[in-house]
Amino acid sequence: MGNLIKAEIRKTLSTKSWWGLMIPAVLFAFLFALGWGAITNDLNDFLGSSDAEELAGLLGVQLGELPVGLLALAHGINIGTMFPVIFGVFALAGEYSKKTITTTFLTAPNRMSALSAKMFTYIGWGVVYGIIIVAFASLATVLTVDSAGLPTAGQWLGVLGAGILATTLATLFGIGVGAVWNSVTGATITLTIWMLVVENVLVFVSFGWFGITWLGGVLPNGTLNGIVGAIGAEAFGAAGVSVPGALDEDLQWLLQYTAGAPGAFSWWAAALIFLAWTMLFFIGGWAANQRRDIT
Amino acid sequence: MHDGSGRIAVQNLTKQFGAVTAVQNLSFTVEPGSVTGFLGPNGAGKTTTLRMLLGLVTPTAGTATINGRPHHQLGNPARVVGAVLENEGFHPKRTARNHLRVYAAAIGVPDQRVDEMLGLVGLSPAADRKAGGFSLGMRQRLALATALLGDPQVLVLDEPSNGLDPEGIAWLRSFLRSFAQQGRTVLVSSHLLSEVEQTIDQVVIVSAGMTRYYGPLDQLRASQRSRVLVQPADANGLVTALQEAGLHQVEPTQDGRVAVSGATVQQIGDIAAKAGIAVYGMQEEKADLEQLFFQLTSPQYGAGATAYPPQQQPYQQQQEWNAPPPGYQQPGQPPQQPYQQTPPPGFQQQPGQQPGQQPGQQQGWGGQQ
Repeated sequence: MGNLIKAEIRKTLSTKSWWGLMIPAVLFAFLFALGWGAITNDLNDFLGSSDAEELAGLLGVQLGELPVGLLALAHGINIGTMFPVIFGVFALAGEYSKKTITTTFLTAPNRMSALSAKMFTYIGWGVVYGIIIVAFASLATVLTVDSAGLPTAGQWLGVLGAGILATTLATLFGIGVGAVWNSVTGATITLTIWMLVVENVLVFVSFGWFGITWLGGVLPNGTLNGIVGAIGAEAFGAAGVSVPGALDEDLQWLLQYTAGAPGAFSWWAAALIFLAWTMLFFIGGWAANQRRDIT
Repeated sequence: MHDGSGRIAVQNLTKQFGAVTAVQNLSFTVEPGSVTGFLGPNGAGKTTTLRMLLGLVTPTAGTATINGRPHHQLGNPARVVGAVLENEGFHPKRTARNHLRVYAAAIGVPDQRVDEMLGLVGLSPAADRKAGGFSLGMRQRLALATALLGDPQVLVLDEPSNGLDPEGIAWLRSFLRSFAQQGRTVLVSSHLLSEVEQTIDQVVIVSAGMTRYYGPLDQLRASQRSRVLVQPADANGLVTALQEAGLHQVEPTQDGRVAVSGATVQQIGDIAAKAGIAVYGMQEEKADLEQLFFQLTSPQYGAGATAYPPQQQPYQQQQEWNAPPPGYQQPGQPPQQPYQQTPPPGFQQQPGQQPGQQPGQQQGWGGQQ
């Protein structure tokens, strides 16, 4: 297994996709955190003064001291997480499209070990992506958010951990989808459209028309974003913790949405549900690859 | 674990892709120490068979084993079998050296082996070029280098001479022979018998997914018939004399010569001398092995597909020597049709002479005649 992991690391390092996707990941994470950082300073105006005051009162904090930096972090990290998903798609579907899968299977004891080595290697890549994305989102947050709105060190560590968890699961999710579908282009385009557009529309429409608040808490993109986003939402009492004299449901959803995690139950619930999505595709792809004819 | 024998065994192997039967009840064995040709026209099921042997395609029925084990039970399979497959993938952006370094790591051989293999196949100068810019011949060399990384006991090659220049083909030919002489196993597929004829000892001929012949190439060669074209002073007199001497496969040709089958030049000369007929010239003509191959594989393109049991004399099937099956386009070179000018009716006869050609006498591994 050590040999195969070494081979997988060499595979990724000898082509450009790892940094080709890292650049936009960093760029988007930085720019989104920058933009949201600029906005969140005015959270007071953004939420409407009465709502914000009500919230601040419930949490027992002064309005200017809400850790709004968490929102900037979450949005930056969430957009950056798209790229490890695509990187994961390349892992196996890329081998099929370049036909290198033949040699990969010929030099591995069996397919199971080849795929396991890939999984372990890409967990490592997910961690690398997570650290770098969180770092750049943090940089942008520090640059834009007033010091009073910055999260505590503990919250920041929480974001780092959640961010790494999110990018790691995102990478594995990408591998799984690529393994099931077996097409880099198809899987990448579909995932991008689904995660950036379709799911957001679904979540918005179901909330706006049917008053469904939980949909974002169970769909893949929502749960992936929820891992980091819910930390912000929880800090505002909009998820996870029980708030005395609970928030108005609509306001709660709006706060969650602002944190980048509409419908998220809590960070760990989001992580668990997204893990389930990942396993669904991963196991499906795994099974398909055990029997697939390489012609 | 595998038995280390180096033997390839294919037993009752069948593969169906949906409604299409690519391989049907195929059986043969390949022994170490020899180069075995795996021959058949395009679409005969060769590639599918090799891919089943290598665990890339799951058989519908039957087994394909190396060293008594299916590919996924070989342990570190690249140490046992190396494969050069058609349309094998290289990441176009990965250099040749990096490509080999990836798989050297997977197999667990030292990186030094990468440069050795690059040198062996003559790719050292191109080691740091991206495989996407390689010619077909260079890709074949890189594929061979990949196959040899693990110093395998068995080598499987699918149409390896595609894209190789004559020099590369000659090199590959001698390489495969020396590889086999070390007691290792080589199975090499081709759709052209002439391409591998000088390299192989054993042959498996498949067509339409079934085995048509399998056995030593020499045995197939021995079934070649030759005929002698005699230019006598008196053609009719010679025909009569030959027939009286018990030679019945005698046929006057349009240019005034007499075609004699089943007799040596010496026999004919003696008979002519006894009959007092002057002979101005005799020319021995030999059927090409490729013609045999056509006949063995032609049922794929026509009715009456008949599986030949191993080592059956393959000649009784078709009437004419010279007619390639309709629709068969021989790539690369014009088919050799030595008897085309004068089709002798009923030319298939008893075994007569020994083949004049021994393996290894001709140079070149394809294309060159």
